[in-house]
Amino acid sequence: MDKAFKTEELNSLSRRDFFKKTASVSAVAAAAILSPSSLFADDENIVHHTQWGTTLGNELNENPYGLPSKYEHNVVRRTSSLMSSAGDMHAAVSMTPLHELEGIITPNGLHFTRTHNGIAQIDPNKYRLMIHGLVEKPIVLTLEQLKRYPSESRIHFLECPSNGAGEWKGPQFNSLQFLKGMMSASEWSGVRLKTILDELGLKPTAKWMLAEGSDGSEMGRSVPVEKALDDAMIVWAQNGEALRPEQGYPVRLLLPGWEANLCVKWLKRLEFSDKPWYAKEETSKYTALMPSGKAIQHFYALEVNSVITSPCPEKPWSDLVGGELVEIEGLAWSGHGTITNVDISLDGGKNWVEAKLKGLVLPKSWTRFSYMHKYVKEPLLLQSRAVDDSKNVQPTVNQEKAIMGVEGVYHRNSICTWEVTLKGEVNNVQVRSI
Amino acid sequence: MFKLDLYKLITTSVALVLSSTLLYGGSDTSTLPGKYVSKMGAVDGGVTYPRKNGIYTAYRYNEQSTKGVNFGRLPTANELKAWDVDIMPDGTGLPDGEGSVSEGDELYEKQCSSCHGEFGAGGKGYPTLTGGNQEKLPNGVIKTLTNQRIEPGMEAPKRTIGTYWPKASTLIWYIRDAMPYAHPKSLSNNEIYAITAYLLAQDAIVIDGVEMDDEYVLNKEKLMKIKMPNENGFYPNIDGPNGVENVRKFFSDRAKNIGSGTRCMKDCKDLSTKGNEPTVMKIDNEITDVVPPYTTVRDLPPEIESKLESKAEKMYNDACKLCHGSDKMGAPVVGDIEAWNKVTQKGFEKVVHNAIDGMGGMPPKGGFENFTNSEVQMIVEFMINSSKKKQ
Ligand code: HEC
Ligand code: HEC
Repeated sequence: MDKAFKTEELNSLSRRDFFKKTASVSAVAAAAILSPSSLFADDENIVHHTQWGTTLGNELNENPYGLPSKYEHNVVRRTSSLMSSAGDMHAAVSMTPLHELEGIITPNGLHFTRTHNGIAQIDPNKYRLMIHGLVEKPIVLTLEQLKRYPSESRIHFLECPSNGAGEWKGPQFNSLQFLKGMMSASEWSGVRLKTILDELGLKPTAKWMLAEGSDGSEMGRSVPVEKALDDAMIVWAQNGEALRPEQGYPVRLLLPGWEANLCVKWLKRLEFSDKPWYAKEETSKYTALMPSGKAIQHFYALEVNSVITSPCPEKPWSDLVGGELVEIEGLAWSGHGTITNVDISLDGGKNWVEAKLKGLVLPKSWTRFSYMHKYVKEPLLLQSRAVDDSKNVQPTVNQEKAIMGVEGVYHRNSICTWEVTLKGEVNNVQVRSI
Repeated sequence: MFKLDLYKLITTSVALVLSSTLLYGGSDTSTLPGKYVSKMGAVDGGVTYPRKNGIYTAYRYNEQSTKGVNFGRLPTANELKAWDVDIMPDGTGLPDGEGSVSEGDELYEKQCSSCHGEFGAGGKGYPTLTGGNQEKLPNGVIKTLTNQRIEPGMEAPKRTIGTYWPKASTLIWYIRDAMPYAHPKSLSNNEIYAITAYLLAQDAIVIDGVEMDDEYVLNKEKLMKIKMPNENGFYPNIDGPNGVENVRKFFSDRAKNIGSGTRCMKDCKDLSTKGNEPTVMKIDNEITDVVPPYTTVRDLPPEIESKLESKAEKMYNDACKLCHGSDKMGAPVVGDIEAWNKVTQKGFEKVVHNAIDGMGGMPPKGGFENFTNSEVQMIVEFMINSSKKKQ
């Protein structure tokens, strides 16, 4: 093993020791920290030259398409065979490592992925988009022609309505990645659908739009024309580069705030009609069975939601000794509008304080919240509760269950609870009646 | 300009708009970052935001006219014919053709049962297609769909074609475009009708008063007459001229229809009935079957295995993994040391021979006839090597 790597390992080990030592010194000694101290052992990463400081680094364009540091190799999407058909990874879902993300953008390689017939590999030269039906002027477009339309860029989250679907009857995964990782957020670029439709001339009888994908599953969904004319986009780029194949390269539909399944990938065709279609993914699936035995169909927008991302089961507080001022941080989002408030509870929902929103606060986008907490070594039940400008308040598990029951599969947005143990470990639990 | 700071950008631009047009609400809050003028009443229950004077929430947009931007061309009649083939409940798009239940039985057995189970009854990890109890409550709701598994051991509601699907047109459309899974769009119209007939017959669907026996032949006209048992099991009603308005109305009352929270700040009581107060529910049986395994360690990745096997591995992934990746198909699972020990006891030659010629549920060359024998041998070597004890 390379010497430099050894010191790197020691470094991460010594972090804890360092904190332990800091904690054991008295308040008087803590004041002395300002002048050079003889209380700590010397850190050899400081007192010796490092390997990377004493050798020539790698050539600058070694990776013409850049890669993360090799040390980041565990920051990846993860799958579970339980979230697939028979472990078949063509019709399955991969989860974004939310615990490793910063800000409100997901790196393209970490965007969650749900496919129904594998990842289509489309030759952009052979790609065609057809728009027809109740329009004055139907068209077919090549990719180059589509990209000639004036573009816009928007930051929006995409979420699978099954996000957290395993948890209706109780907590199952002790992991933020698997509790809420069926979502990601990007800056999407493309053309506003209305810009094209204005040119094609939508007939007044057009009430519904079919969006159809060109992958093996030929994913189809019916969309009310109202959405097509509001903020819907046909997008070809994600965070400044072409869409990834997993996200629908070369073109997908983007219906901001709505089920990611409706944002049809590998988009092939938009047809306008006076009637909805009844595709498989809006009947057999993506309908929410209620306790009455009837199911909600055409369940478009993802409701107001939030989750604390730090601490979380993957990033616990077990390195804290007590007395630290530490940030509780998280993500809030709503498909109905813009996040206006996020509240934090430390006692499982009995009492709440308002957290601060930080960074960009955009419609139908992830919004970061923050709350500074004076950590005392004691058990906590951490919760966050988001409110949006369409007057939605995130429900408790009981409030959601009272109406939705436990068999609906989709659109679960109730409050999440992290149990922080005496040791600072973090577990996924639920505060609920049976 | 002074500072490239979003807060200022928004406040100044909104202020400009205010002074010139007075279109934006004058309240102070509308000039705070993240507070946008909005309107309730969107079809999804949410708000919409105006696009005015080049401003759309936090974004600026180009307000020049796009009238006359016109790329692409008219589709030809044949292009429309090729792509405009979606199928609607009123029969629009239904292909011509016919097929009988017994023909469907044979086709299903060959092309579908390996994943969806005998008679469509599932059991192989892939979706269950048929079965379930269609018995109805007096209000017309299918009884088993009211099952709620609030206690362990309770029976799940079964969402099968017979108990759940509202329209038969969906079945024809989906099977034609998306199945069989590994070769979608490979079935002829007659085959699609036959398989659909077979699946509907498993669920005892009655067409125009006629029960579907083995000789029953399904075609376009008969399919349009089907009333699915759970046709009325969905809401809001999206059909007819008021369809979209029904949806809007439904989602405008989210508190009643899908549930909502309340913003209590102090001494909050969670909704509960007496004697059933909320408690902390912990994970009972943690699911730890995740790939790759959980870790947040920052270290160097393990040395990447020798690249020699990569071609074989790719071919394996493309052609064989579907069956050999899990034990649902009765195939020896790659990585299962014991299973492959048993296989290799026959001798390498024999095993390669079996892979080439097929045996039992194993199709010749896994169904990929264009593979050469030596390619198959390469893949088998890869499968065997991947199923050995690691040194
Ligand atoms: C290799 C496995 C495989 C084979 C073979 C297969 N299917 Fe499927 N089938 C699937 C998977 C996986 C799905 C779910 C796809 C998804 O995630 O959307 C599915 C979904 C379906 C559905 C929708 C089920 C639902 O509840 O929504 C129907 C209907 C169906 N298949 C019919 C067929 C028919 C008919 C055949 C034979 C012609 C067939 N399948 C062959 C794997 C298979
Ligand atoms: C449609 C599913 C399917 C596919 C695809 C498939 N196999 Fe198999 N395979 C099976 C089954 C089932 C068996 C077990 C047969 C038995 O024991 O009767 C098997 C057995 C085998 C065996 C063991 C033979 C023996 O002597 O016991 C080998 C080797 C093999 N397959 C290789 C391959 C290769 C190579 C491919 C891809 C080119 C492939 N299989 C694709 C289903 C499949």
